[in-house]
Amino acid sequence: MNFLRQSTALLRLNLGGLAARSGAVLTILIGVTCAVGVLISMLAMGTGAHRQALGDVRDDVAVVVSRGSSDLDSSVSRDQATTVADLPGISLGSDGKPLIGYQSVVIMEGHRRGTGARVFFPLIGTSPSVTAMRPEIHFTEGRMFQPGLHELVASNPCVRTFTGFELGAERDVRGIGWSVVGHFDQGNSMQCQVLADVETLMTVFGRNAFTNVSVELKSPRDFDAFRAALEANPALNLEARRERDQVEGRFKGFKALLNFAAYFVGAIMAVGATLGAVNSLYSIVDARRRELATLRAIGFGSGAIVAATLVESMLLALPGALLGAALAWIFFHGMAVSPFGFSFQLDVTPQLAEIGIVWALAMGLAGGLLPALRAARVPVTTALRAT
Amino acid sequence: MKFLPLIWSGIWRKPGRTILIFLQVGVAFALFGVLQGLKTGVQHAVDAARADLLIVHSRLSLIMEGLPISLLGPIRSVPGVGVAIPVELFVCHYQKPEQGVLSVAVTSDKDWTTAFTFAIAPQDLDAFAKSRTAALVLEATAKKYGWKVGDRIPLICRTVQKNGSPNWTFEVVGTFTDSDFGGGGDKIIMSFPYYDEARATGRGTVNHINVSVTDPNLAVPVAEAIDRLSANSSHETKTESIRELAQQQVQQIGDFDFLIRAVVSAVLAALLFAIASMMVQSVHERTSELAVLKTIGFTDRAVFMLILAEALSVCILAGAFGLALATAALPIAARVVTGLSMPKITLAIGLGFAVLVALISAAVPALLAARLRVSTALAER
Repeated sequence: MNFLRQSTALLRLNLGGLAARSGAVLTILIGVTCAVGVLISMLAMGTGAHRQALGDVRDDVAVVVSRGSSDLDSSVSRDQATTVADLPGISLGSDGKPLIGYQSVVIMEGHRRGTGARVFFPLIGTSPSVTAMRPEIHFTEGRMFQPGLHELVASNPCVRTFTGFELGAERDVRGIGWSVVGHFDQGNSMQCQVLADVETLMTVFGRNAFTNVSVELKSPRDFDAFRAALEANPALNLEARRERDQVEGRFKGFKALLNFAAYFVGAIMAVGATLGAVNSLYSIVDARRRELATLRAIGFGSGAIVAATLVESMLLALPGALLGAALAWIFFHGMAVSPFGFSFQLDVTPQLAEIGIVWALAMGLAGGLLPALRAARVPVTTALRAT
Repeated sequence: MKFLPLIWSGIWRKPGRTILIFLQVGVAFALFGVLQGLKTGVQHAVDAARADLLIVHSRLSLIMEGLPISLLGPIRSVPGVGVAIPVELFVCHYQKPEQGVLSVAVTSDKDWTTAFTFAIAPQDLDAFAKSRTAALVLEATAKKYGWKVGDRIPLICRTVQKNGSPNWTFEVVGTFTDSDFGGGGDKIIMSFPYYDEARATGRGTVNHINVSVTDPNLAVPVAEAIDRLSANSSHETKTESIRELAQQQVQQIGDFDFLIRAVVSAVLAALLFAIASMMVQSVHERTSELAVLKTIGFTDRAVFMLILAEALSVCILAGAFGLALATAALPIAARVVTGLSMPKITLAIGLGFAVLVALISAAVPALLAARLRVSTALAER
């Protein structure tokens, strides 16, 4: 109890005297602000990309791919697809048919507006009934493609980012002109997505197998039964994945890369900020030598001095964390970036601010350790005699 | 010169503080060096990529859509074409799905290596040409899995053989190195004729065709002539040099430039403040010493320069230390992204920034020191 009372008294004394040491205080504040701000801004890329990728994922949708395939190299033949449609657990549409989407993905080329730089993106052949399974698809202009015709519909990010997606534009795919007949928004996604009729696309590309088949289950609980039924037939050589797992798997490497970069740069900046904090705290402690010696002389314990200095140092780091998070939010929240061909908005979330605060407290603790020990070891007699 | 001892003793007046500042500046410039090294190193690698090596691929995609191998004859007769080699890329793994190995199937025609970025010893080339099931292994890959010449390595590939089996076995006959931009990852070279005959589907098509041009200046017209061959057909081609491809890869990274600039500014801003505040503190503590210097004849200007010189020495030394750290660390990063390097210009820019940081942050404390009035300073004692 005595320890606690001494520490709080010391802390109050310490904080009261800080106004006179604005240089040292500002050094800690700015160092921590920069380190936390950079860490949060960079982590916000991973969070933003993640939110966008998983924002529209449905728990009651399963994706059927060939066993062990990654993404585009999957292949599901028509025969296999027919077998999938008969499996249990698939929800039925209003017309009494199972809700199934057949996808065939090809890669097409586009050109960025302005720079003209070439990018490749997927052209997804899908069943026209996709709108039933994907209620987030919302047409802002034009209409859905018609089966059997060489028609494309593009999400609005395509129209904004690339040339040649205006309504009525013709795009050349495999020597055939495809006209753009609709523009749509797609929930959280900022990704460019172009859809066409799966059968027409496969005819043009001479394909006989789908890339994957997605099914809407009666409920998310039916997934295990569905998967068991699918895998009970090893000859099919197919695999069922929850849509969430499929999207996350596609995304894992990219997110790991972003987070690695964020923590790598963040850690180096944190080390720099901590070094700055150590220096500042040393100067604060040195300025208090007589004060500390007096306190020791009248009976304050060295444990209380260490505790008070450490808490003080963490309290000095804290505003830096809040300021860093605030600056990251003001400057970068919602900013659109597209590294490595992914497009998404930075997302500064409260969770990231929490991480920033934890880092700042750690910086304060690490930075305060040595100065706190020095404060506790102030030799009473010499310090009192000093001018 | 005679001021050197004075500067030196000023720096070491409080060794703890100087070491901390030194480390802080060092860490900041190590980060600066790594980030700038990434940026300039990538640009460097793009410039170094060959402009005279063309990749003919489907207009629709780099590797997803194949080309008919029948294009090979017409391409070879285009004036300016050196060698044209069909290339098929397919993904395999060794033992575990996580241990991916990329198979590059090529025909070993005369001078075929001129159309690639591979460096292969002549005796390995001969051995490769002699056997159908021979494979050349990337040096790093051979080291990683302990493969030696003469070993038979089983790979499981996404391409199945005619008998339905995804298992392929190759005999290691030699190793090679690859200078391609971003050419990391495990890789083997195998024989295309063998592959084409053994595979179950897709016979007669290739991913792309590598073409070397006889005169680098002809690269653009040759590429255009090749694309004209298949214009308006169902398999239109797009021909690009690997330098153009590297450039596009860099553009894909896109907003990284902005990010690097933002981080570097944050680092330097924090640094400026830390140094400035420490120097102000130091000048305050030295009030009486500085006053004594002035009493014995040092001009205001000399005192100003003295403080500036202290900051400059610490910053330049620490900056050089940090950049040296970054240079030492880059080879590790280069294992992931081939072609990374620390060009001298980056080092020069880094040291320039170190000088700038020192001058700006020491300006206020040096001014304080220069404006010090002897009478008041000494009276404080």
